[in-house]
Amino acid sequence: MKHSFIDRYSDLDSPIHHLDPRTRILTTLAFVLAVMVTPPTSWLAFTLYASLMAGLVLLAKLPVRYVLKRSAVVLPFVLMVAVFVPFWGRGQVMGSYNVWLWRVSVTHDGLLVLWSVTVKSWLSALALILLSSTTRFSELLKGLEHVGVPRVMVMILAFMYRYIFVLADEVMRMQRARDSRDVAPLRPYGGGWLWQIRTVGNMIGTLFIRSYERAERVYGAMVARGFDGQVRTLNDLHFRRADLGFGIVFSAALLTIGLITRIA
Amino acid sequence: MHIPDGFLNTATAAATYVVSAGGVGYSIKEANKKLGEKHVPLMGVMGAFIFAAQMLNFPVMGGTSGHLIGGALAAILLGPWAGLLIMTCVLIVQALVFQDGGITALGANVFNMGLVACFVSYYLYRAVVSLMGENRTGTLVGGFVGAWASVFVAAIACAIELAVSGRSPLGIALPAMAGVHALIGIGEGLITAVVLSFVMATRADLLELQKV
Repeated sequence: MKHSFIDRYSDLDSPIHHLDPRTRILTTLAFVLAVMVTPPTSWLAFTLYASLMAGLVLLAKLPVRYVLKRSAVVLPFVLMVAVFVPFWGRGQVMGSYNVWLWRVSVTHDGLLVLWSVTVKSWLSALALILLSSTTRFSELLKGLEHVGVPRVMVMILAFMYRYIFVLADEVMRMQRARDSRDVAPLRPYGGGWLWQIRTVGNMIGTLFIRSYERAERVYGAMVARGFDGQVRTLNDLHFRRADLGFGIVFSAALLTIGLITRIA
Repeated sequence: MHIPDGFLNTATAAATYVVSAGGVGYSIKEANKKLGEKHVPLMGVMGAFIFAAQMLNFPVMGGTSGHLIGGALAAILLGPWAGLLIMTCVLIVQALVFQDGGITALGANVFNMGLVACFVSYYLYRAVVSLMGENRTGTLVGGFVGAWASVFVAAIACAIELAVSGRSPLGIALPAMAGVHALIGIGEGLITAVVLSFVMATRADLLELQKV
């Protein structure tokens, strides 16, 4: 089992890692919402938001390159959806160019939309990376439960998290088995397109049957141990003075950024 | 098709959150009623199953690869409400752990890939099966049609949400998203049909599970 993609860096030792998960969840949410309602022309605000995130990433001792690489996850959607907007938007035309046969115009409003979605999705992704790289998933679930997510949902998510590793291992074993039976090294995975679809479909079918049978065994084992639909866990969350301090400072920073953009 | 943060305006994000939260709340109630306490481990392991199934890539075209989304498969095998619950868990983990889909856009993503995808695919599948009969052909055609439509309609819902938020004009976003996903849906449909065929050949009783 080597799935370091979940919970990576969440075992580091830093002031951020020691905060209560609820503090981290609520401040992340506040940050994402603040970014969401910021008007796209508040250049100063976005600079300050980015500096705030940079400060926290450094404080949490996360590797900067890792964070930047992870934050590129928003790019495919930006490229797919928004990159053409400047050419099709209505409004004041900033410039027209002749590209071979077409006359291409770039509009001010369109560019603003592209800028807005790029910077907002990137800043929000940074905040979520900070949250998930400083909080173990089990802590995150405990925190979610105590900020109002329904208990059943948290229980299902906890089961899912427990078995993701088991089933991911299962998938990797099946992939290795498929690849080692591959007789045509020049064509990865052998035959044509339909053949590959059929192979992947059969693998998923096998995985479904094994998962379903596993779920039944798990339930049987739980019932044998007295499961009655309730999961009882210790509440070892502590809202400390550091949490209060961090919450106040962070909210004050967000409010200040909001006020500055109002005045400016 | 996971919408990141920053793409939806506040009204669209809030509206889809309310609808999705209501749907998920009802699905928990339904699962509890029909499966009893068993639904907690079952839904959890099935969420992990969809998550693991998404790790399996297959080639699409010109060197790119795709993977199963799985909403249709979950809905056809376990029922639309169960499918919604499973996809919601998958989307929450993807948003929180991988930043695949934003936290303010979670409502919209659950609406598109959970509510819309599961209900469209399940009822289309039922319709095809009742037209063509409860046999192998009916199940496979129904699975293909349902899974294809789940991707296609979810993409249309996504395009409408983006257009309502003023991010891209509907006249361009809708045909582009619908066109691309009509092709992606073929892969989803074929894989779903193969999975159903495999389950039918090995453990046909799992197709007759009580639908939630």
